[in-house]
Amino acid sequence: MSITMQAIAILEALVILCLLLVITRRHQTAALVAGIGARPGAEPPTQTAQARHDAKRARRAWQATRAGRFDAPTRGASTEAGPDPRRSAAVSAQAGDNQLVSAAARSRYERMHPMQYVGVTHRHASGQIEALENSQSLPEHAYPRRDIERHFCEIVEFLPFAILLLDPGGLIKTVNPEITRLFGYERDELVSQRLTLLVPECGAGDDSSACAATRVSQRMESASPVPSSHELSARRKDGTEFRAEIGLNVFRFDEGATIVFIIDRTDQYELHRNRLDLAHLMRVSTMGQLASSLAHELNQPLTAILSNVQAAQRFMAADPIDLAEVREILNDIVQDDYRASEVIRRIRAVVKKGELEVAPLDLAGVIRDAVHLLRSDAIVRSTRVTLDLADDLPLVHADKVQLQQVMLNLLLNAFDAMNEIPPVDRAVLVTLRAAPHDSVCLAVSDKGHGLTSDKLDRIFKPFVTSKPHGLGLGLSISRTIIDMHHGRLWAENNRTRGATFYVTLPAGEAA
Amino acid sequence: MPVSDPQVFVVDDDESVCRALARLIRSAGYSVETLDCAAALRNRMSTISEPACVVLDVQLPDLSGLELQRELNTRLPIIFITGHGDITMSVDAMKAGATDFLPKPVCETVLLRSIAQALQRAEEAHAARSELDAIRLRVSRLTPREREVMELVVEGRLNKQVASELGTSEQTVKIHRARVMTKMEASSLAQLVRIADKCGLGMRGASPASR
Repeated sequence: MSITMQAIAILEALVILCLLLVITRRHQTAALVAGIGARPGAEPPTQTAQARHDAKRARRAWQATRAGRFDAPTRGASTEAGPDPRRSAAVSAQAGDNQLVSAAARSRYERMHPMQYVGVTHRHASGQIEALENSQSLPEHAYPRRDIERHFCEIVEFLPFAILLLDPGGLIKTVNPEITRLFGYERDELVSQRLTLLVPECGAGDDSSACAATRVSQRMESASPVPSSHELSARRKDGTEFRAEIGLNVFRFDEGATIVFIIDRTDQYELHRNRLDLAHLMRVSTMGQLASSLAHELNQPLTAILSNVQAAQRFMAADPIDLAEVREILNDIVQDDYRASEVIRRIRAVVKKGELEVAPLDLAGVIRDAVHLLRSDAIVRSTRVTLDLADDLPLVHADKVQLQQVMLNLLLNAFDAMNEIPPVDRAVLVTLRAAPHDSVCLAVSDKGHGLTSDKLDRIFKPFVTSKPHGLGLGLSISRTIIDMHHGRLWAENNRTRGATFYVTLPAGEAA
Repeated sequence: MPVSDPQVFVVDDDESVCRALARLIRSAGYSVETLDCAAALRNRMSTISEPACVVLDVQLPDLSGLELQRELNTRLPIIFITGHGDITMSVDAMKAGATDFLPKPVCETVLLRSIAQALQRAEEAHAARSELDAIRLRVSRLTPREREVMELVVEGRLNKQVASELGTSEQTVKIHRARVMTKMEASSLAQLVRIADKCGLGMRGASPASR
């Protein structure tokens, strides 16, 4: 996310810079800016040097305000701050002692305030796009808009991330060097092409940029809470694809334009994939540990089926044949067969590998499935598992496999915690309740020795384990999973004995 | 004492396995009763009078089958069935006197053969127990003096020796001895000795060398 934040900061700085250009022009205080204005032809060397300088200053100013340094150079500003002290402060920090911050400047600032949206829109997590209709209301005698645009484009050249401008028809107007580096195209190859060339998911063919923007925003809105889905797939010239975060902002200059910034998310995506792989590995390893009890779970229905069939054979050989008994046997065989396939379904569900599938989910069902998988293991370890699940709870919005993994992990930990105590005392209680703020709370309590106070939080760190053969990854992965679902996982010692692990997850409307 | 039909108990916490095994055993002509936990079998124990055997799952939620075995092995022959038994477990079970230790899914012929074997053992034990009960009943009918006479006689003493040991006349000993033979339903001295042997009578006073 830090890249995005930086991008926001820089874009905001750009906006401020544009503002400043307008303001300083009005007050005739910035000679060099006036100099640029006097040469609309724009010769690169000095121009770009100037642009770089401006960008740097704007950035510094922005950083200063972000860091909360409102006082020193902005003494005058703090009272004048208006609706957005942060931005006013930025303006005054930039302006220094130029007495810029007057009531007049402030009102002008407010009039031009809509321009701020250039930098703001892409911060909406939902990807909401806001058109800047009001930017048309700039005073006519302000700095010529065309120049601002040109100046802006020059600054964009030096930004350390990929930005391109779309014209109102949705064709690429200009790209910065980062785009050419990222995608492997030459600048000329991209100009007048559609954005779909780079980001196929933006939609096909002949749409205007506004349509593309809407579509991207819809994509972002429909995205699940899981990080990967926030991103789209971008395609390089050589055909390889990478995950990228795309920001679109409709920006009205003369005829309107769209700024598109593209951030390479390959690293994040890789990280996310690695996390999923690791979680999957842990699930497979858990199933490995449980192999013998799972075999037993399968063996039970097989035993019943075999005995039933052999009994039926004997009944069939008798005279007269007890048809009622045989019919009952056949019924039982069908049931046991279903039961065996249900065991296999549960195992498959856990070891399944793939993308996250976030869907409305009944947490009680997940808990029951996990407890079923551990049934034999619990018997072998002489541990009783009691369920106390509230009915009619709102659904959570989550990936079933991952939640089941958390559940299995918490239950197995609870079993392990009681290895040292006498078998008669070994009991695990699983409760599921509604919790405040539209959430549900799951608790897994054991009757073991509990956790020392330093362990209560440390056990969630990777490679921290109290078991002789533990990897120390189970709880850390579980916490990552719950975090990903915007929930919370923590441990507390019970008042009497043992520890309880709690999971809260947003449910119903809040999910 | 009339011997009632042998009974097979099937103890498994898994309802469908329990039902299927019971059916299979019933199809072979045995009378079967199913129980779902160790505690239920424990409770039932006191009311079992007929020869019986138990088909028992090793892993029961309330008690391990091996623990239960310790409690009732002397009374009931046990056939263990297990879904995840290991060598150690089966050796322990067999050492402790299990009739058999069978993996699930259970082979029909092996199971039925084991049951037949177990029930035979149960019947023998049942018969022995019944006989012992009858002998004990007979012994309880003896007077203290008759009992003393019997103990000495089965140790091989002559009437004369018994008389001197008890401080009475040989004639009196003869009368006591005749009564003992009647009450113990023994037709010869050899039979009386066997009966005494079965109920452990006559051993208390005997020196190790004489045994």
